[in-house]
This record gives sequence, structure tokens and C-alpha cells, in this order.
Amino acid sequence: MMSRQKTNLMQIVYGKPGSKASTLIKEAQGSSEDEESDDDDFFKPKGEINKKVSEGTDSQNFDGEDCSKFTNHVTLKNWNDEELIASVRDRFVTGDWAKAARRGQ
Amino acid sequence: MGKTEYKKLKGSQNLRQRLLLSTLSSTPVLIDDIRHEDTWPGLRPHEISLLRLLEKITDDCLVEINETGTKLKYKPGVIVGGRNLVHDCGLSRSIGYFLEPLLVLGVFGKKPLSIRLKGITNDSKDPSVDTFKRTTLPLLKRFGVPSEGLDLKIESRGSPPQGGGEVHLGIPIVLNSLSAVTWIDEGMVKRIRGTAFSTKVSYQFEKTMIHAARGIFNRLLPDVHIFQDHRSGQEAGKSPGYGISLVAETTTGCFISTDTAVCYARGEDTDDYDDDERKELMPPADVGEQAASMLLGEIEQGGVVDSMHQGILFILCALCPQDVSKVRVGKLSPYAIETLRHIRDFLDVKFVITPDSSTETVILKCVGCGLKNLSRKIS
Repeated sequence: MMSRQKTNLMQIVYGKPGSKASTLIKEAQGSSEDEESDDDDFFKPKGEINKKVSEGTDSQNFDGEDCSKFTNHVTLKNWNDEELIASVRDRFVTGDWAKAARRGQ
Repeated sequence: MGKTEYKKLKGSQNLRQRLLLSTLSSTPVLIDDIRHEDTWPGLRPHEISLLRLLEKITDDCLVEINETGTKLKYKPGVIVGGRNLVHDCGLSRSIGYFLEPLLVLGVFGKKPLSIRLKGITNDSKDPSVDTFKRTTLPLLKRFGVPSEGLDLKIESRGSPPQGGGEVHLGIPIVLNSLSAVTWIDEGMVKRIRGTAFSTKVSYQFEKTMIHAARGIFNRLLPDVHIFQDHRSGQEAGKSPGYGISLVAETTTGCFISTDTAVCYARGEDTDDYDDDERKELMPPADVGEQAASMLLGEIEQGGVVDSMHQGILFILCALCPQDVSKVRVGKLSPYAIETLRHIRDFLDVKFVITPDSSTETVILKCVGCGLKNLSRKIS
């Protein structure tokens, strides 16, 4: 599982070995299904989804906007929700340090 | 000397990265089909302005643009830097657009760079000058850029559409090369800092934004301090606007930032991506709450940088000496993916990208291209 994910992510960024394409928005969407449902919108930039539809298979956006800020206000979560707050609590020093230390192990 | 070999590219996408990497790797580029099918074809004012800025800080660089602006020939020169430079960034993009490539270029100059940039300091499209000050500059330090002389001073603020802001940027040079990092521990958030600003509106706007943002953070962390930066008169630029920049600092010295700003739309700018700006202005309480939510969203990602700094982080890693750099980021942003592709094309550095499924983060490893500060050697 890990190795497949690894190659997938490498392929999403750099393309399949041998092909020099950077036109992999479509693949990004396909492969993200293998991963957890949370990653569904992993590589769907705002606006580019519509463009892909209009341009058909030619998903490369030659004149895409040059912008490093990635804001997706549509999916902004409601952080007034107690459950959500609880989910990030251990990312703060006020949370459970032992639990945070185990993160990633 | 033989004929110059140009690297052929198409479209207006990622122009900043292309010009930046072209300059650093001394690779001339020829970009064709720049918005050639657009109602307004060719380069935009901010792109022209960026080219002028490159001419200012480099020596012997060649820029040729065809009549319609759809074709650009760029032959990079030697980065010289220099003191007391001034550049008008115009009004079609904010100063943040220019700072991103400028910071990296400045570090590899012959002399330290000291430049005054005029234009828009805060808008919703580019990272704000506050974000650069509090997050991007510390990021550079981590890669071995000396802290002495590294400074961004906000002299006056300018909101769109009329701007009128001014910042002073100082960048020291690296004496030899950057130093590679192993940076995979994102740590725990120990404090949150921020700046709420307003130009040509009541200072009550800042208070409301701060109050709303604090309302969200208070259940998580007591150490939250958001400064008020109320500007009036000359220092407030020419247009009304308000916004907030937030930074979460972690126990391992990572800075995670978000910012947002609200203002009236630019008159002529009616492209589809701007539609959220042309509505009624968002009330300050909502602005504060939105910025706080965005910050928590970034913290949740679990990277050592926020999503807007992924690109510059990868570029810095790729420019390091031939050591292994290893970094952890959250979900890769589309811009970061484009950056990785351009790094491969220009610097021939390919990252090993491994998802860490237990934390839903991504680990990237690369061996730097070993860029030396050659400009300095020549002198």
C-alpha cells in the first residue's frame, strides 16, 4: 500500500516515467480514490475543475493564474464546532503531549 | 560565443517561477502563446513590472517582448542587488507577488539588496506583507540566510484598487550557498500572533476582527495576541480596506500563516476569478472568523509550513548544496506541484515524495543542485 501510494504521488507530480507531461490533473483525480476519502479533493485546484471540463482531455492550463495562495473558501470548515476543535486540540501545547508525540509513529 | 540556446515554454502560467529559476540557473527562456487566445492577449501589467524589476536587480539581462505581448524572450543576467533601489509594483497585483521571487533572487546577489516597493500591501490574492515579515523571512533564516540585514518594513499600507502602500525590503546575500535542512517535526502550536490592519476606515474594524478571531482561538490556546495596526493620513494609502494576518508559532520554530483582506474591487478587473471580491464587503467580524478558520485549517494539515509557502520551501531545498533536505508538508497545493515540475525542468532536481498515511502529511526529500552564489565570486 505504501509503495503504491508513493509511486502514485510521484506520478501525479512528475508524470509517468518516460512521458514528460505535466498534464496530470485527471490522473490526480483518478488515483486519489485509492486513498482515504478525506483526500478526495487532494489535487483539485479551485477553478481548474471547471476548466478541465471545458477543455476536455487537454487539461493543461497554459494560462493558469500565477498565485501561491491556495484558498478554498467553499470548503472552509465551521471551527465553532466542538468536535472539530477537539480534532486539532493535540496540535496545540494545551493538548495531550503524549498523544502528539505518538503522531506519525 | 555561440548562439544562445533558449528553453522553449508556452503560456503565461507560473511566469514568476520560470523567470526565477531561469535567472538562478542562467537558462534563457522563450515563452510563446502568452494568453494568445484571450480577449486581451499578452503579458499583464504586473508581469511587465516584474520583468522591469528583474532588469533593475540584474546586470546584462535581456528582455524582448513582441508587439502583442504574447511572446517573451528572457536572457537572465547576473544578479547584482544594490542599495536604495525603488520599484513601483503597479496596481494589478500586490507587492506580495513581487516579493516571492525577489527574496530568493536577492539572496544570490553580488551585493545585498535594499529596495523600496510601492503598491498594494494587502489583498486577498497574494500573501500580505505581514505574512512575509513574520513567516517567509524566518523561513529563509532556516536555510542559512544571515539574519542581519534581513528586514521588511511596512512604511505605509495600500489597499486595492488605488494602493499607495510602501515597504522597504533588505536582503543580505549568502556568502557561499544555502544550508540543507531536515525539517520534519512540525511541533505543537505554542502561540498565535497576528496583525489586524485597516486603511481609511474606523479603527473599530480592527477591534471587531480581533475579537472574532480570538473567539475561535480561545478554546484552544490562551497565548493569542493580535496587534492593531491602524493607519491614517499618508500611511493609509489611497483606498479603504481592512484585513488580518495570523501566524501560529510551534514549539519547533515553524510558522504557519494565513491572511485575508477586504476591499472594493478593481474597476476594470472583471475576470471570473474575481467574482467573490465584487460583492458587498464582508463584515469585519466574518473576516476575523474566516482568517482564524483558515489558520486552524492550515494547522490541521500538519506540515512545517503552510500551503502558500510550500513552493518557496521546495525551491530553497532544491537550491541547497548537494546534501539531502527532508521536509514535511500537508496536502500539496496545485501551485507547489507546478513548482516541483519547474524545479525538475530547470534545476534537474527531482524530489522523492512519500505520503505519510498515519498523519496524512507528505514527506519530500531531495538532493540540492548545489547552487553557489556565483555573482559574488565574480567580484
